[in-house]
Amino acid sequence: MSQPDSPLPIIENRADYDAVIVGASLAGCAAAIQLGRAGLRVALLEKQPDPQAFKKMCSHLIQASGVPAIDRLGLLEPIEAAGGLRPQMHMWTRWGWVEAPPDRAGRGVNLRREVLDPLVRSTAAETPGVDLMLGWSIESLLREGEGFGGVIARDKNGTRREVRGRLTVGADGRDSAVAELSEVPVKTYPHNRIAYGGYFEGPPPKHSPDSTIWFLDPHWAAAFPTDSDLTFYAAMPTKDRLPEFKRDPEGALVRFVADVPEAPPIRDSRAVEPVLGKIDMTNRMRKPVAPGLALIGDAALATDPLFGVGCGWAFQSAEWLSEAVRPALQGEESLEQGLEHYRRRHGRELRGHAYLIHDYATGRPMSPVERLMFSAAARDPKAAELLDGMGTRRTRPEQMMPRMLPRAIAVNARHALAR
Amino acid sequence: MSEVERTSLLVGGTRTRLVQAGPVDAAEAVVFVHGNPGSADDWERLVSAAGAAGRRAVAFDLPDFGEAVAPDGFEHTPFGYAGFLAEVLQELGIERAQLVLHDFGGPIGLVWAMGHPDALAGIVLIDTGVLPGYTWHRLARIWRTPILGELFQAITNRSGYRFALNRNEPRGLPREFVETMYDHYDRRTRRAVLKLYRATPDPGGMSENLIGLLAPRDIPALVVWGEHDAYLPSSYAAEQRRAFPSADIHVLPASGHWPFADAPETVERLLVEFLQRDVASRA
Repeated sequence: MSQPDSPLPIIENRADYDAVIVGASLAGCAAAIQLGRAGLRVALLEKQPDPQAFKKMCSHLIQASGVPAIDRLGLLEPIEAAGGLRPQMHMWTRWGWVEAPPDRAGRGVNLRREVLDPLVRSTAAETPGVDLMLGWSIESLLREGEGFGGVIARDKNGTRREVRGRLTVGADGRDSAVAELSEVPVKTYPHNRIAYGGYFEGPPPKHSPDSTIWFLDPHWAAAFPTDSDLTFYAAMPTKDRLPEFKRDPEGALVRFVADVPEAPPIRDSRAVEPVLGKIDMTNRMRKPVAPGLALIGDAALATDPLFGVGCGWAFQSAEWLSEAVRPALQGEESLEQGLEHYRRRHGRELRGHAYLIHDYATGRPMSPVERLMFSAAARDPKAAELLDGMGTRRTRPEQMMPRMLPRAIAVNARHALAR
Repeated sequence: MSEVERTSLLVGGTRTRLVQAGPVDAAEAVVFVHGNPGSADDWERLVSAAGAAGRRAVAFDLPDFGEAVAPDGFEHTPFGYAGFLAEVLQELGIERAQLVLHDFGGPIGLVWAMGHPDALAGIVLIDTGVLPGYTWHRLARIWRTPILGELFQAITNRSGYRFALNRNEPRGLPREFVETMYDHYDRRTRRAVLKLYRATPDPGGMSENLIGLLAPRDIPALVVWGEHDAYLPSSYAAEQRRAFPSADIHVLPASGHWPFADAPETVERLLVEFLQRDVASRA
């Protein structure tokens, strides 16, 4: 395929792939590893030329829901060997601490993206069948009949290259170019908090090596111990706090975290790199499929980072896609059927979570139902376990609610009578 | 922590309880002015902490609050109370003060500061300060309404008081703190509250004068405000820079109207750091 008006020739790429994955971050690499291991040919394109590149604006927390998918990739052991921690969550609420019993709590992963991303990417690069192409950003999508069939990529010298494949996968994050170019329908939901965070060295927080978050309602703060004896501190206040954070990100973060109840020792710690902030985090929920095309990770669903679900869902959605399209790519059923499996699975697993997350992202205070559940969870270990199950995204809201609500009412009634 | 000393003092016809710590002869002191409903007891922990930081620290009951009884003819207005504050300072030989003010202690302390700007060495504002444009909260509007206010005060009982107070606090307040507050909320205090609020039609009225007088002096200031204050909105915390341009402002994200009761460690740390910074900046 040539374009007469283009100043540079396109390198014809005769080798057709089964899948062309755009974005070699967590979701893209995970999908590449799985498809490659299934004997399929995968092109994995990444616009960053540096194999050590990593996502900078990230809390790095992987919720427990993502751990089985990581384990099936064979990455859990290397992650732990690289210093990754396996924390449970301790949540401060105004009713007290919400802490599931340690043997029943979900355990996620805390490893800095600086370590995690290169680890996952090198695993993908070493997977037979996977061609990792670094330094290529996509310019347009190729059409194949009714659907999409690959991409035209371009490197920084302006060299363009056609990469054809039966399935095109957008794993290129919240601002996904694949999603934009394919014009899949997108719904957006407002986000009225800001996020500032950074890595500190110093004395460990009280619950270390576990993670701690503060539901300050409507504000939020976190302390995530991680590898190399560092702690990631974060604040997510509502947008009215933006001026002080803009003026002095590190100073404002330290002051904010130091003023929370039972504050962690941030004032006795030292930032090891600049504190970063993100101001626009509009929630985006895209239809995760189009003919010949699928979106995974943040490209499909970019929700409020407050709940730390992005990394885990990147691994999970990659796995759901690989499982759904593998039979099609191996010739057992049509690609259309495979993509429909994926769309349904993605919706079933994440729709309920996304609904609750988007609703709270407006910066509003907790609703009466949320207050009921959180207060009960602070007073009762079983309720804490149920909330932990949903918070770590191992159970869906619609699975938790029928068990949680009666219990929360009973716990709070008992509490009121005892006073 | 240093031990606090509890004594009493006869000033302007009123015997008031004193809670003190630190060097008793110092001409400069950290002086705590409570709000409504409040008393010298509010400040025990912070007085002790300021004393331990080497400062003379003094808290007392305002007339008709705590255990103090106002003499006949006492003027229950911010000006009357500011006059009482001036007398206490004179009696104790305090020439310069760092005021720590809470709630209605704010207007009282600031009125005093208008008359003695040179004697104000520093200020700590806890859920109070200049309140430009502020209109009274609902409870104050009830108190300010003749007959309704009297009725409301007459029917307030211990459990109702506890319930109403905690309902407006994000985390509730320590039981003991509320009980002590109610113990002092007797008929005399209830009457004083009605008089004080009725004498203050426009709580933000003096703000521009105060800002004009105080801002050029850039007095060292610490502002602590509970994010969830149901009476004086925390949006006023940032406004304090208009009167105190260099103020260090902390809006405590999980606190209500009484941060020194629901976040005592944090408020103590902020106060002690403020006092230490002040010493360092003079050295």
